[in-house]
Parts: sequence; structure tokens; C-alpha cells
Amino acid sequence: MTPVEIGLWVTGGMLVLVVLGMRVAFAAALAGVVGLVWIFWEKKDYEAAEFAWALTVAVKTAGQVPHGKVASQALSLIPTFILIGYLAYYAGLTRALFEAAKRWVAWVPGGLAVSTVFATAGFAAVSGASVATAAVFARIAIPEMLAVGYDKRFAAGVVAAAGTLASLIPPSAILVIYAIIVEQDVGKLLLAGFIPGVFSAFVYTSLIVILALTIKGFGPPVTGFTWRQRFQSLPPALPIVAVVLIIIGFVYNPFGGDAWGTPTEGGAIGAFIVFLMAVFRGMRWPELKDALLETAKLSVMIFSIIWGVLIYVRFLGFADLPSAFSDWITSLDYSPMLILICILLAYAVLGMFMDAIGMLLLTLPVVYPAVMALNGGEFVSADDSAFGMNGTMCAIWFGILVVKMAEFCLITPPIGLNCFVVAGVRDDVSVQDVFRGVMPFFLADGVTIALLVAFPWIVLWLPSLAS
Amino acid sequence: TEWNVSLWGKRRAFTEHVHKLAELVEEKTDGEFTMNISYGGLSKNTENLDGISIGAFEMAQFCAGYHADKNRAITVLELPFLGVRNLDEEVAVSHAVYDHPAVAEEMAQWNAKMLMTSPMPQYNLVGTGEPRDELGDFDGMRVRATGGLGEAFRAVGGVPTSVTSSEAYQAMESGVVDTVAFAQHAHLSFGTINQAAWWTENLNPGTVNCPVVVNIDAYESLTDEEREALDSSVPEAIDYYLENYGELLQRWDEVLEEKGVEKVTISDEELAAFREATASISDTWVEEMTAQGIPGQELLDLVNSTLEQTRASN
Amino acid sequence: MAGSSTVLSDDSTLSFLDRKLYRLERFFALIAGIFAFGLMVLAVVSVTGRNGFNEPLPGYVDWIETFMPLIAILGVSYVQRDGGHIRMDIVVGQLKGRVLWAVEFITTIGILILILALVWGSWAHFDRSFDMSRPMWSRDSTIDIGLPLWPAKLVVPVAFAVMSVRLVLQIWGYGRAFIRGDETPAAVPLVQSVAEQAAAEAEHIQGRD
Ligand code: NA
Ligand code: NA
Repeated sequence: MTPVEIGLWVTGGMLVLVVLGMRVAFAAALAGVVGLVWIFWEKKDYEAAEFAWALTVAVKTAGQVPHGKVASQALSLIPTFILIGYLAYYAGLTRALFEAAKRWVAWVPGGLAVSTVFATAGFAAVSGASVATAAVFARIAIPEMLAVGYDKRFAAGVVAAAGTLASLIPPSAILVIYAIIVEQDVGKLLLAGFIPGVFSAFVYTSLIVILALTIKGFGPPVTGFTWRQRFQSLPPALPIVAVVLIIIGFVYNPFGGDAWGTPTEGGAIGAFIVFLMAVFRGMRWPELKDALLETAKLSVMIFSIIWGVLIYVRFLGFADLPSAFSDWITSLDYSPMLILICILLAYAVLGMFMDAIGMLLLTLPVVYPAVMALNGGEFVSADDSAFGMNGTMCAIWFGILVVKMAEFCLITPPIGLNCFVVAGVRDDVSVQDVFRGVMPFFLADGVTIALLVAFPWIVLWLPSLAS
Repeated sequence: TEWNVSLWGKRRAFTEHVHKLAELVEEKTDGEFTMNISYGGLSKNTENLDGISIGAFEMAQFCAGYHADKNRAITVLELPFLGVRNLDEEVAVSHAVYDHPAVAEEMAQWNAKMLMTSPMPQYNLVGTGEPRDELGDFDGMRVRATGGLGEAFRAVGGVPTSVTSSEAYQAMESGVVDTVAFAQHAHLSFGTINQAAWWTENLNPGTVNCPVVVNIDAYESLTDEEREALDSSVPEAIDYYLENYGELLQRWDEVLEEKGVEKVTISDEELAAFREATASISDTWVEEMTAQGIPGQELLDLVNSTLEQTRASN
Repeated sequence: MAGSSTVLSDDSTLSFLDRKLYRLERFFALIAGIFAFGLMVLAVVSVTGRNGFNEPLPGYVDWIETFMPLIAILGVSYVQRDGGHIRMDIVVGQLKGRVLWAVEFITTIGILILILALVWGSWAHFDRSFDMSRPMWSRDSTIDIGLPLWPAKLVVPVAFAVMSVRLVLQIWGYGRAFIRGDETPAAVPLVQSVAEQAAAEAEHIQGRD
């Protein structure tokens, strides 16, 4: 059997385990270990005496991955951004934000759901992790929506979908990770995420309003707030704005001259300020302990998938599957745009079974060079390129597209991390409920992605001002 | 026989000799002995020696400075101001050190055998703002430099700052570092040259040493013909590498001109003062190695005598 | 999430061991959380030092890389105990009683096999970086300031060893549930519908008091 065939068999086996309900991280890792044993034994022509050798080498190779891959500065952003989310929650900042959004916009049809999207988009300017954002707003927004008679499935779906905004609107852990994998300018990528993020938020709210107008008893507008009450809701939400300004000021020094630090450090500084606010607002050890435990839990969930998937990816490396794929893509005789669309569709399928970061780590080393090659190479000028943009802009555009796809995968069944997290926070909501409720947003995301593909300037306008 | 070879990053001047070696070996054995070169698929770059030790792959490249404790003996080649002037000399001293029994013994603990080096030119600085051409300018300078090089800059008041090579560009742009020390190909591939206002052409403080090793068991189980093909291809592969890197260096001046980067020349007096200030680094190194039972002085002398011989024979 | 766990307890030895181990797991998770907090403090110290005193934290990246395994892996068993690791429950969500416990039993054995293999593999990884005869027992070090790597590498087999014990308890729990045909067994995480059922029953009982 050729290594590529072994690769396909093992992948099939992994899918069976996943369907049987084995925890995804461990199903991937187990498939990876078994695959490695198979590959090494095959190398010795399956001689019985060599099995022990193959097993040893496979296990030791897999045993490097958890420490080796997790000990990474790039991935250190994930716990930091999760921590920000929980600290802001315990500081009452997220609730204040939601309250303000509610008083100002909840009078529209589907008002509370629209408020949730706005509050989440605002919080996204502080938070860089979708799952943490979904977890925090599940606690705040869902009870309020249920109280005025929303369907619990839809209430949960709104939160799961809106959480994904945190990864487009800067700061964003996943955009930084993309930038590091493909070695592009982090600052420009973060900037590029802003308009698509806000754009996504508006597509979500439009969808909600349309649904509210067409479905009877969907979710009533919440009215009756006086202007006085509205303005009273603003001061408690101001600290979030302050944190946003501090992070932006930190990364793009407003006084001219050198910035004070990298976006990575900006995130940590933001977390620290939120921590100080939380302490000021009365957070003490019991609350801090809860925040730390929640941070640990969510971090471990995400990192288990990361190292589990990477053991499987290590096996794929030995099976030489990525280069087989790359050769295949570049040998295709279709138009570059068609191939790009197929790649995005492939992400949608792959994302059904994988978490966003695991998926990027798995695919980008193969797919990114292929896409750059499709456009005409790293140093191509806009005029000579297939997509009408130079190499740098293509890297930014593709980055935003991929991250949007990856975020889309956070809400698609069967493995949609945001949906699991929302169901985990709310005991009265099952995972199936969230998946049902989030379905309308597939349409919204489809529209957003199609527009970003068709009109790249939505993505590229802001970063092109910066260069 | 098919060997798996673990490299990292993407194909670049720094890895061309491995591709050439694979090509030559396959040719000489009529396709009997092939090499499957992987960039990052088989291992993380700092764990290539682990992979060799496990036997997961047969050949790999790594850099001494990534993990000094794994390969103490060859860190002699990363000491500042060894006086290596060009890539030919770098090859000569590297291979002389690789042949030393202390090195072979330490590598054998990882089940590894040195095959060849990946010679790199001296790590010179690129920087933003006013050129720093005097030692006094290094005071308080935040510089991205690792290992022995970082130590050298610290000795003259510099502030070595940790950023990974892939974040170097971002670190320069955001002012986290003022300067970055890299070889030319890395200034190109990590984009630091695009941020630069100037480049030091003759600071030549030292470089990083990155050998290519093979797994001992795999090497010994080659047929005589295959082993002969492998060994005999090393000099050719190195020659190819030098030729290719030479072309890159020739292009370098054009790149500087194109990007408007100023070439900074540092005066002999300043260089002498820098060398003086960092002299104790080798002494400390020798002391530490001797304490751990590694013949540090002998290795350092070997570097110097090899340099003399190489120059005498030219 | 949700502080309330879906693991029930009873007065059996198994449940006693479950709760004992849970205390250790919680402690490990708290350490992980504290180091996540430490990551943030590290960044603040580094930024302040650099901008305020031109004195960046030496080996900032090295320290981050040392912290990360503690944050990312030490709590693995804590999450497993509450059934928090992500999975697809479209199939198991439909199963009930003995069939469900049989499937859980088998997949958990699969995980145990994996984790035992990884205890071995990650211990070997640690062992290659550890040498008692060397300064700081180090045979592998970080790039910038040469921190020994072995402590961070040791975190992994330790976390996985605790995870193995947890898995053995869960296999025991599923096995017992299978044999006894339990509806709501103790010491194993219950899928949502079963947990709801248990909660409903508890309410029912309370109502009768
Ligand atoms: Na964000
Ligand atoms: Na999904």
C-alpha cells in the first residue's frame, strides 16, 4: 500500500471514531499514532520482528508533539484573549455593553438579538477569541432573550454566530496566527479584518430584522427606554471604549514615532487593564479564581484539539499527503478564481470536522503557497496577477477569506466549537439546539464570503491606506 | 533505499545543498538511493535532533544556537569575532570542528553523525533611523540577535531582545527592536531589508552554525555503493551551495540600491574596540565547556589553526 | 463552562475516588489558569521594562514557551472529568442505557490506549532533554537565554499520567453502568439528555417530600 493510500484509510478511520463520539482531539491523535505505526512498519515491509521498532518510533514521534507544538509564542495569544473575555465578564464590562446596546437599539424588530450582535461586535474590539466571546455573551444575552420569549434555539444561535465577529474585528488571535504562519505583516492583516468584521455584523443584523419581520412571535422589540435611561447606560460601558483606545494607541502610537509594542503585547496590556478595572469594581480572589479556572478549561479544550490534530498532521507529513495535494491543485486546468472558490468550499467541508486553528495549522502550509502561485507569485504586480492585486494584498485578502471561513466552521455541525461552548454554558440548551438556531446565519455568512470574494476592495481598502 | 530528510521553512539558498545532494546521490546509484525532502512535515525545527535520535527520519538540518545544551561542542562556531572572512573559510572551520572526536561523541548521543555544514555569511545588522557606525551608538540599542551574538552586543551596551525570526519584521516596524542581525538571505526572506535604512557591511560579529546530520544506524545500513555515493557527493553539494549563495551575494548590492539602503562601513578602530569588549565571551565559553568535560580550548585552537591553514593554502 | 457539572456521585468506592481525583484535577487546572494570568503579567513587565527603562525582560519568548505547556496541557484531565472535550454527539446523543455505556466504554478504552502511548512518548521526549550529570540537569535548552527545557517537557507526561487514572475510573464507571444497566450512573460525564433526565428525577423526588 502506498503512503498516500495509508493516509486515506487512516483518515477514514478517524472519521468513524469521531462519528462514534470519541472526543475529537483524541480521535485525531489516535488516528495519527496508528497511522505513524503503519507508515513505519510499511517501511520495513511489515516484518514481524520490526513491529516493535515501528511502534517505538511512532509513539516517540507522536510524544514530541504536545509539548513541541504548544510551546509557541504565537499560540500564547489564545489563553491571553480567553482571559480578557472572562475578566471583562467578571468586571461587569460585558453586561454594561449589552445593557447600553439594548437601550439604544432593542426597539427594532428582533431587538434583543440585534443588541446582542452590536454588543458582541463592540466587545470584539477588545477580545481576540471567538469562543471566549461566545461563552461570555451566552451568560449575559441568552437569559434576557429567553425572558422576553425568544425561542431558546435561536437565542443560542445568535450568540454562537455573533461570537465569531471577535476573530475578524481586531485584535484577533487567529489573524495573528495566520500572519505568523504565512509570514505577513500582522498590523496590516488586523487592519484588514476591521471592515469585513463590521460588515459581517451588519449582515447578521439585517438577517435578524428580516426574520423578525417574517416570523410571527419571533422576538418582540423591546421599547420604552427614555433618552435619559439611554444616556445613563453609556458611562458604565465607557471603560470598554477606553480599553479599545488604549490597545489601538499601543499598537499604532498616536503621538507619532515608534509604536509601544506588537499587537501580541497589545492584547496582554488590554487584559491587564481589564483586570485592574475588575479589581476596582470589586473582583476578589473567589471571582478571579473562577475566571482563571474558566480560562484554563477553555484553553485546554482548544489546545487539546490543536495538539491532537497536529499528531495527525505529523502522520500526514510522513504519508506525504500535503505535497500530493499541492501537486494536484497546481496541475488543475481551471481558472484561478474557480480554483479559489473550490478551495474555500473545501474549507467549508473540512471545517465541519475541525476547529478553526487546527484547520489553519493543517492546511496553510500547503494551500497558501498554492493560492499565491495561482495569483502569479509572491512578487507579482497587480497588473500581471490573476486576482488583480499584488502579492502582499493577495496574502491579506486570502487571509481574511480563510479566517472568515474558519469562523464559519465554528458554527457548522457536527464540530462547531462556538456551538459546543454556548451549550456548555447553558445547561438548558443542548448542542443540537444551538446548531438548529444558528442555521440562518449560514446564509448570512455565505453572503458575506461571496461579497468579500467578489469585491476584494472591502478587505483591501483599509490596509492599502496604511502602505 | 529511501531516506526522509527533515528541513524547515521553505526552499532557499540555505537548503540548496541538500537538494543537490539528493540529486547527485540518486544519479550515482541509478535511482536506488533516493531522498524525500520535507519542509516542516516531519518535525519542528528545534526537534530535528530528537527525530534523528528516535530514528523517525534519516537526515536533518539544525542550527547549533537553537539548543546549545544539545550540541555544546559545536557552539564554538557561533562565538563572536572568530575572524571568518568568507564562506569558504566557514566551510573549512566547520568541517574541521565536525571531525573533532568531542563533537562526534556528542552527536553520537543523538545517534547522529555530521555530514556537512550549511555555511552562512556573517550576521550583519540592518536598522532604522540614523546609521550606527560607532561603538557608542550600540549603547541602549535594542537588537534582535540570539546566543553568542546577543552576548556580544550586550557586552557593548546593546539590549538583545527576543523575537522569533518570523516576527522580526513586525518587531522592527513596531519599534520593538531597532536593529536585526541576520545573514543576507534571511534579511531578504524575512523582509527586514524592507524596513531598513542602513546595513553594516563589515561589522562581521559572527554567524550561526547549521549542520546537516544523518542517523548513524541508517548510515551504516546503506550498501557500500550507496554510502560511497553519499560521501562523495558532499563536496559537490557544498560547491553548488557556495556558487548559489555567491550569486545571491552579488545580487545583494543591487537589492540595497533598489531599496535605498545605506551601506555602513565601520572603522577599524571601532571594530577593534568591539572585539576587545567581547573578548571575554570566548574565555567564559572555554571555562564553562572545560568544567563540563568538553575540550573547549582545543576546539577554539582548532578553529584558529584551521583558519591559518586555509589562508596559507590559498 | 457552567460550574455545575454533569457528573453525579453516590457512596461507592468509585465515586469516592472520582471526587478525590477531581480535587487534584481542579488544583492542576487552577495552576494552568494562574500561569495564563502570569503570561499577561510577563507581557506587562516586558513592555514596561522596554518602554520605561530600555530594559526588556531577558528571554521573554523563552519564558512564554516554558509557561505554555502548563497552561495548555496540565488541565487536560480536569476537562475530561466533566466531559468538556469537544465531540460530535449526533450518534451517542440518540443512544440510551446499555448500548450507550458500551459505546462510551469502547471509545474511552481507545482514549486510554492513546494516552498511555503518549505518556511513554512524552516521557521519552522529556528524558532526552534531561541529564543529571549536566549543569541544571539540562540536555536541551531554549534559544535565547538557554533555559533548561526539561521542566516544561515533564509537564506533559505528568498531566497524561493523571489523565490515565481518570480514564481508568471512567472505564470502570461505564463498565459498571453496563453491567448493572444503570440509567444515570455516577462518576462518568452524562450526555445532555441523560443529565436533564437526572435533574428532572431529582426535582420529582423533591416534589414528593
Ligand atoms: Na477581536
Ligand atoms: Na464546524
